[in-house]
Amino acid sequence: MQTIEINPMTRLEGHGKIKIFLDDKGNVDNAFMQVVEFMGYEKFLKGMPIEEVPRTVCTICGV
Amino acid sequence: MAEWEPRIIVIACHWCTYQGADLAGSLRYSYPPSIHIVRVPCSGRVEPEFITEAIKSGADGVFVGGCHFGDCHYRSGNYNTIKRFNLLKRALVDLGLEDERVKLEWISGSEGKKFAEEMTVFDAKIRELGPNPIKGGANV
Amino acid sequence: MSKPKLAYYLAGGCGGCDIAVVDLSETLVDVALAVDIVFWAPTVADAKYKDLEAMPDGSIDVGLITGNVRNSEHDHIVKVMRKKCKVLIAYGICATSGGIKSLVNLYTTEQLLDKAYVDTMSTDNPDKVIPQTSCIVDSKYDLTLPALFDAKPLDQVVSVDYYIGGCPPHYDHVKTAFTALLTGQLPPPGSWITSGKALCEVCGRNPVLTGKPKKFTTTIKRTFEGTPTEGACLLEEGYLCLGPITQGDCGVKCPNANMPCRGCGGPIPGVKDFGTRAISAIASMLEKEELVDEIPDPVHLFYRYTLAGSALGKKLNR
Repeated sequence: MQTIEINPMTRLEGHGKIKIFLDDKGNVDNAFMQVVEFMGYEKFLKGMPIEEVPRTVCTICGV
Repeated sequence: MAEWEPRIIVIACHWCTYQGADLAGSLRYSYPPSIHIVRVPCSGRVEPEFITEAIKSGADGVFVGGCHFGDCHYRSGNYNTIKRFNLLKRALVDLGLEDERVKLEWISGSEGKKFAEEMTVFDAKIRELGPNPIKGGANV
Repeated sequence: MSKPKLAYYLAGGCGGCDIAVVDLSETLVDVALAVDIVFWAPTVADAKYKDLEAMPDGSIDVGLITGNVRNSEHDHIVKVMRKKCKVLIAYGICATSGGIKSLVNLYTTEQLLDKAYVDTMSTDNPDKVIPQTSCIVDSKYDLTLPALFDAKPLDQVVSVDYYIGGCPPHYDHVKTAFTALLTGQLPPPGSWITSGKALCEVCGRNPVLTGKPKKFTTTIKRTFEGTPTEGACLLEEGYLCLGPITQGDCGVKCPNANMPCRGCGGPIPGVKDFGTRAISAIASMLEKEELVDEIPDPVHLFYRYTLAGSALGKKLNR
């Protein structure tokens, strides 16, 4: 099965890629968009004083 | 694999704890061979970085020795030591290091016996805790 | 003479450093005209990884990398960047020391994924599906994801020529750094591009600059407790400010807005482990040893931007 991979998706913040699967005639059979980034703020903020959280979570996305 | 022997770094102030170690030797008190003494001018010279660097380099225990309050040769060095050490210890415990792996104790130049006893107790404690987790021990 | 070629890669960051470059405003035009941008992904230019891989080794003059190295894709592209670039710059605190995102090193990848995909109140995931490095959908579509590992600053993966701190770097500092790059007036390789001054040295609240003595900290206050006196040193007032060890290239933005510094600028020259030195500096300024126990959550405070670059680098026995 022929595939086309677009990696990375551009002009945005955060990493993503698109994988397109083509059938025998060259038409699109299926396409997947994947987000390859994982951060984990949910967990590592635990225990931090609440007044510090706003200035910390603003780094989830800087754009 | 050879049996594990602890390596313990003792950072000793020149005017008190190091003299205490000297006295322990003169009085023929024995203490474990795992103890490696580093002499510094004052316990106030002990940057928290010395302690973390020792742990990073694989020391199984770090012991800081200084003068009793009021005895500091430089008047206030040990007052700074205890503040820095206690704050570092809180951070190290939060970073998953065992509470007993780092220790601060005041040992004066006349306390040769106390020095030998403290070293024996600390060595026994480190043997009980096992190797420094940073060396690739369990659950790293 | 042809223009110098510039490549820019955002690894495990937030894009704030990219915005700091755009914040150059009019100067950006001069910078954009002076350089030839060959790769800027994923934020600004429409470039693909395979284009970068196809470029000859050493063909790019300057490479900037922001964000820490968090997964196998970052690791691969960062190594490719090192091969293609003559000068590689760790740009922003994530690339230099790990950044806020390196606090992930307090937990294992399994714990983080479990919290995000299974354990939160608002998550509906009865089958407990978490992302895998490879999976086959409908038994014919083969998909892959990069493998996650502990966050690392750039210099733990490849050799780095220069470091620029800040979360993000202040645009005036970016301007200084770009001017230094374009005119070739650079410090010795391996050093930080910085004024070399601590935040306290440029802070208007520092009593020493006006000839007054610096007093000990007598209480510990959290930022919501009261309002600091106009023009008074935040540390003297009891708000734990990391200005004494942080680079002052940021224009003192936080203390000017009554917020204590948290150290995003990176360590002043000569300091290797920012968090540990911050512990040393702040503890020395406390009046009594009892105050040490009142400081809330020392790890998130002192190692907030530099956990991955610190001596331990991660939580042990997690």
